[in-house]
Amino acid sequence: MKRKYAVAAIATAAALVLAGCSATGEPADDGSADGQDITLWLMGGDTPDELRDYLKSEYADATGGTLTIEEQGWGDAVAKLTTALPDAANTPDVTEIGNTWSPTFTNAGAFTDLSDMYDELGGDKLLKSFVEVGEVDGAQYALPYYFGSRYNFYRKDIWDAAGKTVPTTLGEFGETVKSLRTDAQSGFYVGGSDWRNGISWIFANGGELAVKDGDEWVGALSSDESVAGLEQFQDLFTGASNAPVTEFDSTPWVNINNNDATGVPEAATIIAPGWAHWSIGDITPDPKDSTKTVATWNDDVFGTFVLPGVDGGVAPVFAGGSNIAVSAASKNQAGAKELMKIIFSEEYQTLLGENGLGPANLDYASSLGDDQFAKALIESAAGSKLTPAAPGWAAVEGAGILEEFFGKVSGGGDVAELAAEYDEKLNELLN
Amino acid sequence: MTETITRDVAATEPAKPRTPAGRRRFLSVPHLLLIPAILILLVGMGYPLVWQVITSMQEFGIKQQFGQPADFVGLQNYIDLATDPTMWQVVGRSLAFCFITATMTLVVGLLLAVLMTAVGRTARLTLQISLLLAWAMPVVAAMTVWIWLFDRRRGVVNYLLDMIPGVDMNRFSWLSNPLTFFIVASIIVIWMSVPFVAFSVYAGLTQVSDEVLEAAQLDGANGAKRLRYIIMPMIRPVIMIVLLLQLIWDLRVFTQITMLQDAGSKASEFDLLGTYIYKLGAGSQDFGMASAVSIFVLALTLAISWFYVRALLKEDEQS
Amino acid sequence: MTTSVTIPTGGELGATASAVPVASVRTRTRWSQRVRPRRILLTVLAFAVSLAWVFPVYWMMNSSLLSNRTLQSFIPTFLPFGGSFANYENVLEDGSFFTALGISLSVTLIAVFFCLLFAFLAAVAISRFRFKGRKAFVLAVLIVQMLPAEGLFIAQYKMVSSVGLLNSVIGVSIIYTAAVVPFTVWMLRGFVAGIPADLEEAAMVDGLSRTQAFMRITFPLLAPGLVASGVFAFLQAWNEFTVALVLLPAEQMHTLPLWLRGFIQASATRETDWGQVMAASTLVAVPVIVFFLIVQGRMTSGLVSGAVKG
Repeated sequence: MKRKYAVAAIATAAALVLAGCSATGEPADDGSADGQDITLWLMGGDTPDELRDYLKSEYADATGGTLTIEEQGWGDAVAKLTTALPDAANTPDVTEIGNTWSPTFTNAGAFTDLSDMYDELGGDKLLKSFVEVGEVDGAQYALPYYFGSRYNFYRKDIWDAAGKTVPTTLGEFGETVKSLRTDAQSGFYVGGSDWRNGISWIFANGGELAVKDGDEWVGALSSDESVAGLEQFQDLFTGASNAPVTEFDSTPWVNINNNDATGVPEAATIIAPGWAHWSIGDITPDPKDSTKTVATWNDDVFGTFVLPGVDGGVAPVFAGGSNIAVSAASKNQAGAKELMKIIFSEEYQTLLGENGLGPANLDYASSLGDDQFAKALIESAAGSKLTPAAPGWAAVEGAGILEEFFGKVSGGGDVAELAAEYDEKLNELLN
Repeated sequence: MTETITRDVAATEPAKPRTPAGRRRFLSVPHLLLIPAILILLVGMGYPLVWQVITSMQEFGIKQQFGQPADFVGLQNYIDLATDPTMWQVVGRSLAFCFITATMTLVVGLLLAVLMTAVGRTARLTLQISLLLAWAMPVVAAMTVWIWLFDRRRGVVNYLLDMIPGVDMNRFSWLSNPLTFFIVASIIVIWMSVPFVAFSVYAGLTQVSDEVLEAAQLDGANGAKRLRYIIMPMIRPVIMIVLLLQLIWDLRVFTQITMLQDAGSKASEFDLLGTYIYKLGAGSQDFGMASAVSIFVLALTLAISWFYVRALLKEDEQS
Repeated sequence: MTTSVTIPTGGELGATASAVPVASVRTRTRWSQRVRPRRILLTVLAFAVSLAWVFPVYWMMNSSLLSNRTLQSFIPTFLPFGGSFANYENVLEDGSFFTALGISLSVTLIAVFFCLLFAFLAAVAISRFRFKGRKAFVLAVLIVQMLPAEGLFIAQYKMVSSVGLLNSVIGVSIIYTAAVVPFTVWMLRGFVAGIPADLEEAAMVDGLSRTQAFMRITFPLLAPGLVASGVFAFLQAWNEFTVALVLLPAEQMHTLPLWLRGFIQASATRETDWGQVMAASTLVAVPVIVFFLIVQGRMTSGLVSGAVKG
């Protein structure tokens, strides 16, 4: 009877599989975008409503079709992209995708080749490092959507009181923030597992996370340069930060603002993505809604500077941001490409910049403005670096390997030993 | 031990002797009755189960998900698992977590059930309503509250502990260290599971007749003896089932751990089997391996619950 | 522990118990009332435990009434003085809660209904009949629920999407029903076995058909069991998260757990607005609490009759 049960199960399953095959047809594309209703997936709430409305109305004007925008949470996005993108009946036609995931999905064949319209969309003016993660064999699949990069925020009042000035080298930065640390205050607040910030020290010392050796990607954490950077980060974390070694996704600006219980901040310096400046400042009740607070930037108390390099200049920091691509399974290729044209238009790129998001087309970077935040963003972005364009990079992130590795480094482990151990783990997943 | 269960179950099911007559008269009726349940199981679970078994023997990654043919690798995924020390650490950790949490849940639930029988109406109702409210909390909502209670900066737990003289718990990071992480996880899981156990056992306890207990008391049986010879045999079937369910549920606890990881650390020292499978599948897109671990967990659960399955089969043979 | 045989009344006790499945929960247990001081101590203990257990629930509701500014303080506010319903207003503003509530209720009620129906029929089959394949079915039911769900989402997606039921209440309901049926069969089996078939046959002697006898005699006795099993099915479907995430990707099809999670995540670029998250959590919890209070009496007596038999 047990065997009968199994046979019945397999028969039913087979029937379902067959039904599945007949239901998914080839994408039917008549080449015209007219009247095509398409769906765009955006990740998280980073794209403001103003921009979403712009896309919808422009798309309707251009094609007569409807654009539906669906927001996906960053945390669950990979699972949803993995299931929906290959499914012609339910795929989004265009999707935003975390820049570091681009190689994985591009290599798997998830996206449409956009090489023929690459120049029309901006070509060489598009942010190069982001274009590279979306390329396979010289063809462009996933293009940059927006970028943001990280720079430092510091408490001028604390730095001045201690007689410190803005450092010009990475070594000087480390010494300064270490001297500012007390039991109640981090000289530099950074989570021990916060690899997105920690990798700057690897990059600054000339190291890499992984390099391409022939056709294979191999981990490069144990190279001399990387180890030097990691040791510098370890020294910095143990000497300057009071954050837990496991913290990886912190909201550091709560530490640089005055704590309302004690009236003093818990950090003299933090590193954060540029948009964090909206959350930094003197905390007062919101005049519009007394149940909330607002932060008002105060130039006497707060300042910004970009992370300096080992020998001066600018350190390469992690380039945050997103790519955008057309799903290969989409039945509305023409409509999707029409939307791409709208996204890469001067108007939309300018809108991105005006909202503090680094525009993909660097010709429009001036739209970011010329205040200190825009300057710091542009300056830090110029030297910024991305994670390796290895096909398995999303798997590395998904497995939490770098959080684990940086946590162990910050915990005081032997850097060279750990680096060798985690290179092995990277090698298993990268290709 | 199994024999006693069987006897108890048989003794409490007077319906059994009637069945031979039923069999003669309604040979096809039971099969008809089973059809809807079997159909829904085949539709909802059959295909995923078969897919999982097949995938566990393939090299199935993200490229296969996008249409490339998958290579059949036989038992290679299982062999890789068996030789992976991380896997065995996760298995050991999960088993320890599961046994400790399930036992604690059972003990606390039992004690609360006994407490309910020992206090007056008002106290009992208060206790029952409190447990009911905790039981009714949706998991995502409950986890959100608990994570906040244990928050490093603004958590009430640290605030209250810090008020005890000589205890410095200000900013204590519960979720940074695997030991305290799993203590917190265990507390939360126990909090969520105890109501079910307490209500079930209490329901069992109210079935123990007062007359018998009084008679036993008159015969000179003290509290401990009454508990051992009268109450325990009566509620043992309940305890068995409840323990089994807790073991099954605690072995594959997922939502609680994954939400705690989001708030704490994602390192592999903080993984149990549920999150390990999810990281392999949804995280690393190694669906072949994730399927192999799932099948392994199925086997492991079966091994843990073998005591019950065997009793169930024996009982069947006897009737 | 073979000592149960030494108590001659053991077997009879069991029989008495099952003949009166709906025993009163309020049965006083006299032997505990003898020792007064101990009782006071136990009462105090009962209240202390109640307090500890209900605290997280209280904390959620308390915080939902406080402003985010108060909550950001490092000194916790233990009573909602000066609180308001502003968090609730903000959370309910865009109406997405009611959409999600509608989806959650549809999915859960459909799943609970079909699950109880199918599981009940199966439970009658395996507890009232002996037939070929019975053991295989019992085993299959037992094993199916041991499969971890975390790795199943690709297969579930493929299946549901291939028949065009993605983003539909029906697709998710089917998966939920299938996921809950095994446990419900298992639980109901004990209840059905606990009702003596004699009762039905006596009614049939009195001239009722077998169906009539069943509906008039057995079914009312089973009601508490159905309620208790229904509560479990309800809780599982109401709380489920992973399957819903993959099978209901469209925002307007989100169930309440997804809605709540979206709430926590939407605040990821800012500091979490705990007041709103707590208000949202309370809103998700309230329907379950109401449901529990409605079925509470029935459920406890259901556990009485069912649990003992297992």
